[in-house]
Amino acid sequence: MKDIENRLKQEAKRLLESGEAEVVLAYGRGYDEKHPMPYAAKAVSDVDNIVFDEYCTFNMTRYLTEYPLGTKIAIAVKSCDSRTLIVLMQEEKVKREDIVILGIPYRDMIDSKTGKAIDNSTACNLPNPVLYDILLGDEVTERDDGSPYDVLKELEEMELDVRWEFWSKEFSKCIRCYACRKACPMCYCDPCFIDQSQPRWADKSPSLESNLMFHLTRFYHLAGRCIDCGECSRACPVDIPLHLFHKKVSKECEEMFDQVSGMSLDDKQVMVDFKMEDSDEILL
Amino acid sequence: MSRIGVFVCHCGMNIAKTVRIDDVVEFAGELPGVVVAEGYKFMCSTPGQELIQEKIKECNLDGVIVAACSPLMHEKTFRKVAEGAGLNQYLLTIVNIREQCSWVIEDEDEATSKAKALINGAVYRTHLLAPLESRFIDVNPEAMVVGGGIAGIQAALELAATGKKVYLVEKSPTIGGHMAQFDKTFPTLDCSACILTPKMDAVLQNPNIDLMTSCEVTEVKGFVGNFDVTVKQKARYVDHDKCNGCLSCMEKCPGRGLSEFDEGLDKRKSIYIPFPQAVPQKPVIDRETCIYFKKGKCRVCEQVCEQDAIDFEQEDTYRDITVGAIIAATGYGLMDTTPLVQYGYGKYPGVYNALEVERLFNSTGPTEGKVVMKDGKEPESIAILHCIGSRDTNYHEYCSRVCCMYALKFAHLFKEKTSADVYQLYIDMRCFGKGYEEFYNRLLEENVKFVRGKAARVTDVTVSPDEEGKLIVEVEDTLSSQFMRLPVDMVVLSPAMEAQADAGEVARTFNIGVDKDNFFREKHPKLDPLSTTTDGVFLAGACQGPKDIPDTVAQAIGAAAEALTIVGKEQLELEAATVYVDPYVCCGCQNCVRVCTYSAPSFDVEKNVSEINEALCKGCGLCAASCPTGAIIARHFTNDQFIGEMEGLMEF
Repeated sequence: MKDIENRLKQEAKRLLESGEAEVVLAYGRGYDEKHPMPYAAKAVSDVDNIVFDEYCTFNMTRYLTEYPLGTKIAIAVKSCDSRTLIVLMQEEKVKREDIVILGIPYRDMIDSKTGKAIDNSTACNLPNPVLYDILLGDEVTERDDGSPYDVLKELEEMELDVRWEFWSKEFSKCIRCYACRKACPMCYCDPCFIDQSQPRWADKSPSLESNLMFHLTRFYHLAGRCIDCGECSRACPVDIPLHLFHKKVSKECEEMFDQVSGMSLDDKQVMVDFKMEDSDEILL
Repeated sequence: MSRIGVFVCHCGMNIAKTVRIDDVVEFAGELPGVVVAEGYKFMCSTPGQELIQEKIKECNLDGVIVAACSPLMHEKTFRKVAEGAGLNQYLLTIVNIREQCSWVIEDEDEATSKAKALINGAVYRTHLLAPLESRFIDVNPEAMVVGGGIAGIQAALELAATGKKVYLVEKSPTIGGHMAQFDKTFPTLDCSACILTPKMDAVLQNPNIDLMTSCEVTEVKGFVGNFDVTVKQKARYVDHDKCNGCLSCMEKCPGRGLSEFDEGLDKRKSIYIPFPQAVPQKPVIDRETCIYFKKGKCRVCEQVCEQDAIDFEQEDTYRDITVGAIIAATGYGLMDTTPLVQYGYGKYPGVYNALEVERLFNSTGPTEGKVVMKDGKEPESIAILHCIGSRDTNYHEYCSRVCCMYALKFAHLFKEKTSADVYQLYIDMRCFGKGYEEFYNRLLEENVKFVRGKAARVTDVTVSPDEEGKLIVEVEDTLSSQFMRLPVDMVVLSPAMEAQADAGEVARTFNIGVDKDNFFREKHPKLDPLSTTTDGVFLAGACQGPKDIPDTVAQAIGAAAEALTIVGKEQLELEAATVYVDPYVCCGCQNCVRVCTYSAPSFDVEKNVSEINEALCKGCGLCAASCPTGAIIARHFTNDQFIGEMEGLMEF
């Protein structure tokens, strides 16, 4: 852990010094040990503030789209985060040549909210980054954790009305703080459809109907793009298990289009790409 | 908008039988902004159209709703009506109360209520409509015909005769198609070559036709009026610009391949023209059987060619052609009957398929027109089996339409050329065309034995001495309910006419639909049988479904006329319903750029927004649907218009 932090600092320093990166997106100290923060080191003098520990769960790719295209950025990524990078590159929101990817080979981060290890029931939890330029440590060995979709079993076995009950209850809790949207690296739309007034797609104030309109549309917009980092659920102040819905959509996409999001730069997003062999199942 | 007229069509009893028109008219008349509501028996008829125009003028309408059939049917009709009365044609809304109400709902109350709901939505929508101006584009005056069978030949000749330039694209080394393989044509028994080869020659001689053999269309971009077509010229290994067609190469070539033209019953050289009357009269090398390509030595053709036309290094080339209209005339394939093991095709040498028999009759065929079997003997008895793979729910439910007639033709020719007993094993005799029933009657007089029953099996297992050495056809004569065993020397199968094996791929290339049997789908079986759902792409011949030569030729001439309605114009009117981007809402995701088939959207990196080139936009709405922020607005289908319509619907 400390090794990774040291390597991270070392690389950040080198990249900033040489001008290879204008900014290094990593993690910094927070108000206590269990709460580190997203951190952008812009100068060599900032590098000392960089930390890395098991609480550094943030998907830093979320900040990439805040920078103008062409900015040279170095970014620390764990496994899911690197998959986000791949999707953002497919969507041409960042360019491969502008990014130095500092891969962190580490799994089983700890969710500071629950104190529990993050496993593949709440995130993808692959052992190593899928794409990186520099790996800040030795590769983590593979381990059989089962499928990241195993957690869906219970939901899938529910009768329809029970499942509806379950989600109605969950979505009724939503206070529309949009923390999920803010945490999501794929939610870069400005303005988000829900903030528009012409036309007004749904009420702004929380109600089950308008909450559903927001969340279901968001799930749909993330279909085939979500890379299962679980940031939405961790960000949610009222503990809605958003990741379960995302996992279910991802699973369906995978079954239908035989493609796992964010695994290869050569893939195209399933929802805007048409292949002859695409499933016709959804057609009447 | 505030002065709307609602016109409700009875469509005879089509709509009126389940939708209470009077109720609907009364309801519509009270909706906000509606100043006039009328019903009429046939709104699309002249009095119906006049009624609408009269009311537009009289009531000074600024919006018109026609509740009738599907907009696919008559939206254009009523747009013209509106335009004719001085109203912008885009201020019209069609409400489909036929296909979506009366035809699918039996209950009167329910159908009436749904009609009201749809009209209510349409009123909301019509309030929000805006006048739009149609766009005009220049039309490329040239046309392309794909497929060089009789359909393609006829279509190309017709178009060329109007002075239009035509590209005739054929995948094989000659034009002529299946018809060139036939000996005689039913019911007149005129010689196929005598009526086809002059047409083939006319194609060659016509200065307006660019004949492209050994070519395939690989890509079609653009749309009606301006299709950008990429055509692959497959390597022939013979430079046809240099070749003078002396064919001495063919004479000297030591390589042999199976003749496609003779259905594999005979051999041909490895450098060959498919048959003596082929057009063009210039050979190609079959790479698979050419000794040089196989073994690296030979090149005899090269040595004898005085024109230096042989080019072993030749490669496939690609040519880009722009045309205003395309006719698909890609023909059919004959079903492979090998999988129907009960008939023994491929197992017993005495079992032939229909095309093989055509070649046996033909004087240019493998037997020079003599009806002899593979062992050189003349058959003493022949059974012609109808409906092999057609009218059979295990294979093709449809009737192949030509088999009954060519089976009669075969019977006649067998009788003429041999002294064999001829049996027809049929389910029903379908002799529907002009002169067909008469031909059938003629054959009834020619001592042909008709057995009404579909053959069940062909076997060589004999049960009695007189069956020895014969093929036994097992069949139930359904007229006498007798089970029969017919010992014969020769069995002729009439396999189904199928869609070409690559029909699906070709359909995708041309962006047209296929039916459940993979034949190309016409736009409307009765009113638009030669058009496809892609404007500017038309159909001719058996690619659209099994048909005989007269129907094919008629269709080809029709398709040429259809193509002319496009390439005969200098400009075409395009839908005004294009899209535009609201730059303040665009999030720069570029989904629109990725989904558009017409390359209309592009991305401005500086501004981080998409832009639409409206000249390329077809108004399909794909981009609008895939835009996560709703930044893309489709004219005539704006979000406000949609939401308005939905609000109206949901009041019910």
